[in-house]
Amino acid sequence: MNLRMIGCTHQESGLDVRQQLAFDAAQTTAALDAWQQRFDETEIVLLSTCNRVELYAASTGPANSLTTNQLIDGLLDFHNLSREQVEGQLLTLADQDVVRHLFRVAASLESMVVGEPQILSQVKQAYQCAQDVGTAGPRLHDLFQSALHTAKRVSGETQLHKHRVSIPSVAISELASCVFETFDDKHVLVIGAGEMAEETLRYLHDAGKPSIHVVNRSVEHGEQVAQKWDGQYHPWDQLWQQLSLADLAISTTAATEPLVTIEAFEEHVAPNRHQRPLFLLDLSVPRDFEPAVGEALGVYLYSIDDLDKACEQNRAARAAEFPAAEKIIVQESQRFASEQHRRMTAPVITELRAGLERPKTAELERLFQKLPDLDDQSRREIEQFADRLVNKMLHPPLESLRDASQNGTPHGLLDAIRRLFQLED
Amino acid sequence: MLTGINMLCFFASYAIALGLEILGLWNRVRLRRVALLLMASVGLFAHTWYLGVRVAESPQAPLTSHRDWYILAAWALAVVYLTAKFYYRKSSMGLFLLPAVLGLIAASRFATTVPLATFEAPRFWGRIHGLFLMLGTVAVLLGFVAGVMYLLQSYRLKHKLASGDRLRLPSLEWLDRANSRSLGAAAFFVGGGFITGILSRLAHTGSRNFIPWTDPVVLSLGGMMVWLLAAEVFRLVYPAARRGRKVAYLTVAAFGFLVLVLGVMTLEDSLHGTETAAMEDAAEDAQ
Repeated sequence: MNLRMIGCTHQESGLDVRQQLAFDAAQTTAALDAWQQRFDETEIVLLSTCNRVELYAASTGPANSLTTNQLIDGLLDFHNLSREQVEGQLLTLADQDVVRHLFRVAASLESMVVGEPQILSQVKQAYQCAQDVGTAGPRLHDLFQSALHTAKRVSGETQLHKHRVSIPSVAISELASCVFETFDDKHVLVIGAGEMAEETLRYLHDAGKPSIHVVNRSVEHGEQVAQKWDGQYHPWDQLWQQLSLADLAISTTAATEPLVTIEAFEEHVAPNRHQRPLFLLDLSVPRDFEPAVGEALGVYLYSIDDLDKACEQNRAARAAEFPAAEKIIVQESQRFASEQHRRMTAPVITELRAGLERPKTAELERLFQKLPDLDDQSRREIEQFADRLVNKMLHPPLESLRDASQNGTPHGLLDAIRRLFQLED
Repeated sequence: MLTGINMLCFFASYAIALGLEILGLWNRVRLRRVALLLMASVGLFAHTWYLGVRVAESPQAPLTSHRDWYILAAWALAVVYLTAKFYYRKSSMGLFLLPAVLGLIAASRFATTVPLATFEAPRFWGRIHGLFLMLGTVAVLLGFVAGVMYLLQSYRLKHKLASGDRLRLPSLEWLDRANSRSLGAAAFFVGGGFITGILSRLAHTGSRNFIPWTDPVVLSLGGMMVWLLAAEVFRLVYPAARRGRKVAYLTVAAFGFLVLVLGVMTLEDSLHGTETAAMEDAAEDAQ
């Protein structure tokens, strides 16, 4: 299998590049459709979160049928970007490195906040979306199922996920608490009612009893989230009014352009606030708040990349669990590789077995015709003898094949067996 | 055994506590906090004992001289520090409060031990005057410390430097509240101190009504009082000044006035010292 991954992550790329390469739900579907037509016989899954944009591709053809450069061109063409704009900021992986990387991503080892649970559902959603569009096939199915299995093992067998952590929880506990002494009497505004917004509200609900206000374009979903967290829903056109009242605002929309520009903030919000402190947590990629908004008096604006330092502390606190998690990743990626190689050799083994079964059956029939007086007991003994003989004859080549499969697909050996036993291609 | 306690004892204890606070910026070694609390507690105990001895020696103490006055103000700040340290275990407030404590103790070395003139006659108003001004000084210093911490914390948050740092400051909300309350308290105590000073003077001079309005101490104290009252009115009237950096700037500026008053009081205090009698005689001659 020709397996490749290209993309950008919070480790390699800045927020400026990530937000240019980011995909919302509609764009993901459109991109998968476009790539399906562009890359023949290739399975594709696109994972786009606030911290990463990763394109996973598996092709059945020969190694040169799908190259990394082709995939990069496909990704950049969709966003009308040039290579110069992302130079040195893209991560490219192939074959077993892709497997290890995806397993680490799903297990949240590559996350900004190690141990955060959202990434697992994001990986599931990415695969589900590819399945719905029809770009995911059996190869990526195996890969993503193994990744989910690995993530569950890491979660269950290590302490990495012991205390529920997330980007919002780290941001609020480490940074918002530097602004506010308590969240009990605060006006909390959530812009966008996605999963990250819910995660934020979950943490705030535990941290205190703030007055929660949700502004969302979809009335139904906004009301649903507000009701779930004892909050109040406000229509989208009340965004400025709510921002004027808020102490803490968390933005998690999928908007492709900034919602709050410095001009709009100075015109609609700042005059009503009288420099009252406002902590803005912009968890959206692309950004919902223009960086210049953070320059306004009393405003403390944090985007996803500004949380790096706070997340490092979380990473350090969980460092003791890393070796155990890494061990699981290694075990599972080896198991996946062996399984893949076994699948590659399976048709040859089946043919080899069939190639010996056929003469065995023919010879047994001939023998039983020559000896018609044999009782059932004797017939069974002879059949078992023939089976044992075939198995013993098959054992050395199968053993060699299994050993060779541990280190990759044994193309040479498979070819030799095909020739020796005159098997069909 | 405890009769040997002098200023050096508690100054050194507070200095070591400050050293341990500074050490915490680089390395939070084990038992550092315990050692820090121990040194601050030892310092406060010695400080209290020293003041107790002073009271035993002179019933009017600890507000009978400039030196005692400084030491009492330092004691009040040290109590605030130790209390804050128990409530905000990981906070680095000591980096800001302890220098103020040490500064007041150091200033007391240069202050006179001559009894304050106002205490020689009507003790009640004199004592209230001294107490109000001492509390006003403590309030201004606390406001200054909270203001500096606010500005620093705000700067760190603006420039994304606040997390993962060993310098841990209280939240902006807490500092804002501390600032506002300090400013209000400072305006009240300094204003009260000024008025009780006049009352003390009137009670002392009786019908002669001699109030030296041009005296540098009166002028500087009057200036500080006007500033604090104006700042408090400004804070109450103008919404944007009720919070945040504006209050911090107001309290930091009040500290400037305090330094001026204390400087004038230490260097040329004609009002509370021995020069007063000469001035009164001159006034009588003029009449």
